[in-house]
Order: sequence, then structure tokens, then C-alpha cells
Amino acid sequence: MRLVALDGYAEKRGFHIGQGVAEARAMCPEIDVLTADPAADRALLAGLADWCSRYTPLVALDGDSGLFLDITGCAHLLGGEKALLDDLLARLFHLGVEARAAISSSAGLSWAVARFGSDDILAEDEAARALAPLPMAALRLPRETIETLGRVGLKQIGDLLEAPRAPLARRFGATLLLRLDQALGREDEPLSPRLPVAALSAERRLGEPVQGEDDVLGLTEELALRLKPELEKRGEGGRLFELLLFRVDGAVFRIAAGTSAPLNDPRRVAGLFRERLQAVHEDLDAGFGFEILRLSVPKSEKYEVMQEDFSGTPDRERPLAAFADRVMARFGAESLMVPALSESHVPERAATFRPLTDLALIGKAEERAENIPAPLLAAAARPQRLFPSPEPVEAVAEVPEGPPRSFRWRRTLHRIARAEGPERIAGEWWLDGEPALERDYFRVEDDSGRRFWLFREGHYGASAPPRWFMHGVFA
Amino acid sequence: MADRAVERETVLSLRETIARIENRRLPGVVRAAKAADPGGFRQREEEEPGRKALSLGVPDLDDLLEGGLPLEGMTEIRNAETRDAGAAAGFAAALSVLCQKARLEKGEPAAPVLWISQSMASNEAGMPYGLGLKAFGLDVRGLVFSLPRTVKDALWIAEAALSVPSFCAVILEIRGNPAALALSESRRLHVRSRAGHVPLLLLRQSGHEEASSAFFRFLVEPAPARERPLPDGSMLRGSIGHPVFNVIAEKSRAPAPLGFLLEWNPHDRRLYPVEPLPAAAAADPEPAHSVARLSASSGRSGRPQALGELVAFPRAS
Repeated sequence: MRLVALDGYAEKRGFHIGQGVAEARAMCPEIDVLTADPAADRALLAGLADWCSRYTPLVALDGDSGLFLDITGCAHLLGGEKALLDDLLARLFHLGVEARAAISSSAGLSWAVARFGSDDILAEDEAARALAPLPMAALRLPRETIETLGRVGLKQIGDLLEAPRAPLARRFGATLLLRLDQALGREDEPLSPRLPVAALSAERRLGEPVQGEDDVLGLTEELALRLKPELEKRGEGGRLFELLLFRVDGAVFRIAAGTSAPLNDPRRVAGLFRERLQAVHEDLDAGFGFEILRLSVPKSEKYEVMQEDFSGTPDRERPLAAFADRVMARFGAESLMVPALSESHVPERAATFRPLTDLALIGKAEERAENIPAPLLAAAARPQRLFPSPEPVEAVAEVPEGPPRSFRWRRTLHRIARAEGPERIAGEWWLDGEPALERDYFRVEDDSGRRFWLFREGHYGASAPPRWFMHGVFA
Repeated sequence: MADRAVERETVLSLRETIARIENRRLPGVVRAAKAADPGGFRQREEEEPGRKALSLGVPDLDDLLEGGLPLEGMTEIRNAETRDAGAAAGFAAALSVLCQKARLEKGEPAAPVLWISQSMASNEAGMPYGLGLKAFGLDVRGLVFSLPRTVKDALWIAEAALSVPSFCAVILEIRGNPAALALSESRRLHVRSRAGHVPLLLLRQSGHEEASSAFFRFLVEPAPARERPLPDGSMLRGSIGHPVFNVIAEKSRAPAPLGFLLEWNPHDRRLYPVEPLPAAAAADPEPAHSVARLSASSGRSGRPQALGELVAFPRAS
């Protein structure tokens, strides 16, 4: 076992990363050794990244131990860079997180100064001055490069600043100069934010945290009301809304609610979240309350503005959309389905259900089925109810190809009075592979008038005896 | 004199209220009083207020239902056993086809049918099958299907659907007699359905008779289908024609349960009453005059085989 991380006290005592635990214990018997849990570390970092989105929507993860915040255009909202940094560090301190931070004009410089320097806010022209006394490790270089540089006496970044570039690149590779340029701000370094930035969002910071569900919903409606003019200006309605709840103790909850049609009505947005909160009730623990609420619209679409008329004819689409949204917010996107017909001879593939993701799907079940030959679609011999997986039955049938005489399904014997068939449906070898057996379907009626759809898989006389299945029930 | 007129007015309005609650036609006295106009003008013949019904096209059944399927309120359809679920689902589908058709005939925009099926009901009796329902006459383009896990979820969705004026019918399929759907819940659904003007068909799969708020309850049993007609008017022997249901009105205003044999014709999209099959014809597959007029030819390839068909029994060992 080796040490992978140290706290400040351990660093002072002279431990170093990579040291064996036994050796460390020999140096100082009273140390606490905890097993590393990288997954939990990452989860904590992700949680902190969510929490940091109170300062800027652009938060990027940096390895396992850091975060980049792009605060371009955000600092003035919080009273300037200094105030932002102080607020951030003070809040993190109260959350029990030991953090260091620096603000500068490039990500590389901030990284270096936060870890190895003493400044916190650097102006644009101070990059060279701040970097010069820092060790080579501040440049985010591979360890071998740092060691090679150390062997030739280049220990501080200042040693590189004045050196000619071409020999450095030849000897130590392009990475060195790239990292140096990035730290100096000569080379652009794109940050990849953890989450896409929503086109629109509205935020409310509360002096006193709220706990009640009704308060949260009331504030959500207020936020939606603030978003509405923006949406109207763009001529759009939201297809996906996301509510971020920042709890006092630093936990952040993200609740997303999709809609089946573009939506900008604040009441209905709040109604959507009412259903969502019902659905996630157990997972959402208000604790000591939420201090910041943010409503954003990650996905929006063109919204057709319709004029209300006096004819009194109720508009059908809008209540239907409201209903679909309520149901899907509560039970998930798969809870409402529409039939989908497709080109297949295998009955269970020919008609399936697909989720009602868009209201425009209603009335379009046959869009893809236009090319299906008419006789197949018009076939009367299709049951009204179909078992998704055919149920095996014991049947007594005429050989070699006759209809069954009687069969036992779910432990009940049915005597067959009449039968129609067979309708032979071959397996789709391009999907099922060569050994797919063909099925002979019979439409049968038992002596009390129940109509069933049975099929025989295989043939009598073949090496394996055929098997009979119940596949559907007719009206 | 004035007092008596006020009393009479009160009584008439009470009778009207009662008729509305009981979903009956207005009593004749009330109708006459309402029709009489003090100005002496003849009023336009109006649709009877307080009751909307859809004629099923079968006079006896329509009489029993006092005009037809109530378009506001709950109607219960149940079947006794799971294996009869096809018949009950077929009857419910037939009623929703009639609702769709009535909307089209009235020139209203087409509205979808919502089929809510508790997942256990669909697992046991099969999922509604798009192609089969299409062949049955239902416009599957306007079908929305929902498969909630529990009865409670199903009731919630049904209630939400009944409060929007977007559906032409709501089918709620429940298995058995769950405690979550007792009298008060059915009352709630019924009131919602009346307020929302959407017919609710409660399809109770393999359930017992249970007191509910539905106007009518039907027990649907399968019945042998008629044979397919041939172009020359005769019937194709041994074929299975249009589906036939035995619909028994268990709960209605009739003094005793009444049974109807109804055939659903998917092409005409309407129900036809049919006569019960003569018992003998069903039992005896041989024609009435089975004696051959000519002596059978012998020794030829075309002669009937002496033995019956060969049947494959499962192997004993």
C-alpha cells in the first residue's frame, strides 16, 4: 500500500506521495490511513462542480482534484473578482473543503498559481512575473520532462522564459512550449464545460432558504414568468426545462421535465414540476432548505403562436399536450405510447408501440407503413390482443399439417370446433439468422366460442417434434 | 295562486335535477313546462339537455340503455375469466370505434382514444395489437396506449385524461377487483367523466360483480362466430366469420339481466344482432342428409379414405 494523497499536516511532516504505508507508519506511528476511493472523490468533485455553477454556468473538471470556472462576464454580478474569490473560498471553507483558487486570464496560469503560487488575482501583464519563481511542476508537464529539465538545471519556470525556444522544443518536445505558452496566455486553451450551457435561464437567490414544496413551485412559476418574455422574443417554447435547487449545505439537485410540445406558459411549467417533485419525492431531501433556484431551458423549439378566438371551439391540442406532459413528468417518458406499424411479416414486429415523444406522432402510425402491401395490412386474421412472447401450449393436431384438435393452455383444455389456416410465416433470416423456424398460424375457435391464434413451429416428421404456441386472442 | 305556481316550479326543477342525477330522460311534465314559452313562440327543437347517448344501432339494446351508450359517465364491461379477455376487449374496442365514427359523422375533429391498461392485465391477456385493432375497424392512428404499473397509477392517469376534453373515449383496463378501485373511487371517476364529457369504459378483466357507480355493467362472453358468407349467398362451411359477443346487461334499469348476441362487422363498423345458433347444428358437424345419393365409387384414387385423419399425440415415453 502506498500513499496517494496527503493533507497539509502530513505534508509538513515530510511524507511524500508514493511512499509505502509501512514506512510512513515507522516515521510517525499515529497517522491515520484511509483507503482511497476514487469513485467517491469523483462524485464529490462533480457535486462541487454543480455547486460552483452558482458562479458561472461554465464549469469544467480538471482531473481528479480541480475545477476550472470560466467567469468571463460573471464577476461583476457578484461584486468583482476579489469578492467572488473571497465568497467562493469562504463558502467552501464552511462546507469543510480545503480549497485554493486563483483568477487570471488563462487557465494554465490559474492552475499554476493556485497550486504553487501565493497570489490570488493576476492582471493580464503579470503572467511572466508570477510564473518566474514557480517550479517546473506548475506547468502541468509529465514527470519525466520535469526530471530531465531538473537534470540540466532548469528548475524554475523563469529559467525557460529567457531561453531560446527552438533548442528547448528540439530537446524536450513540443509539450513544454505548448504548456508554457498556455500559461502565459499566448496559446488559447479551450475548456470543455461539464454540462452544456442552457440557452436561457433565470435564477433567484434567496435571503432565507425555503423548504416547502409549494414555495419551490411558487418560485418556479415566478422564474418561468421571467423566462416567458425571452422565449416570446425568440418565438420559441421550451421542450425541456431544468430546475436547479442549491441546498444550503452545498448539495445541488437537478430536476428535468420534458414536454411533448413547445411550452412557455409559466403555470404549466410549474405544474410540470409539481408532478416531477411527486415522482422524485424520496430522492429530494430539502434538509435546511434551498437558497438558490435556477430554471433553465436546455432545449427549445419554435412555438406557433395561436390567436384565441371567440368561436368557443375548444382547442384540442393544448389540453392534450398538458395531459401528456403531466403524465410523462410523473411516470416517465415511456408511460404514453402510440402504435407503430412497420414492414415485417413477423407479427410481433409488424405492430409495436413507441413512446409518445411528440404530439405530432398521434395520427402518424402509418407513416412508415405506406409501402406495406395492402393485403397484409387489411388481413382480417390478426388478433386484437397479442402476447409479446408466445406461450407454449400442448396441442393434439393432425399430421402432417392439419389444424389442432384440442390444446391445453394455462392448464385448461380447449376443444377446437373450427379452425382456419394454416398461414405460413417464415422467419426473417436477415434478422433472426438461418435457423429461424417457420410458423404455421391457425385461427381456431373452441367449443364455447373463444377465438385464438395458435401457431406450430417446425414440422411433424422432422428430427425435433414441432412445438405449438398461443400467440394471440381474437375478439 | 302565485304560491301554487312557485310550488309547481320548485317541484318541476327538483324533478329535473333528479332526472339529471339519474341520467334519465326528462319527465314529460317537465319537458312540456320547459317547452311552453310565455311569449307564445315556438322554440327550436333542442337536443335534450342533461343526457348524451350514442346509439349502438341495435334497437333492443338501445332501449335498454335508454338511448344508447352514455357519452358522459362510466360504463363497466367485465369478463368472467382471463381467457375471455379477447371478447371483452373486442366489445370495448367496438364501442370506442362507434364513438370515433360518431365524431366523424358529426363533423368534429378526430380525437384519440386512450387505452390505459394496468400492466398486469396486459401481461395476462395480451397487449392490444395494432394490426388486429386496425382490422377491427379502430383508427389506430388515434390510439394512445398507457401501461401503468399499479392500479393507483392507472386511476391517476384516467382521472387526468377525463379532465381534458381531448379524448373521444377512455378505456381503463383493470384486472380483478382491486381494493384501490372501490365504490368511492369509481364514484370519483364517474363524476369526472360526467364533468369532462368523456365516456369512460371500465374494462374489468376476470372480475366479479361489484357495486360501482357505473350506469351500466355488461358481462361479455364469447360466442361462436357465424360462418363467412359466399358471394352466392350461401355460407362457407367451417369458416370463422365476424366476431360475435354474448353481451349480458347485468346492471341496468331492466328488472332482470338481459342477454344479447351481437355481431361486430368491422367493414360496416357497426353491431348487428344475431340469432343464437341452433344447438344441433353446432354440435353435429354432419349435414342433415348425410346419405349419399349415388353409391360411392370404389377402387379409385379419388375415393374417400376409409380411416380418419392421423393425429399426433404427444409421446408417452
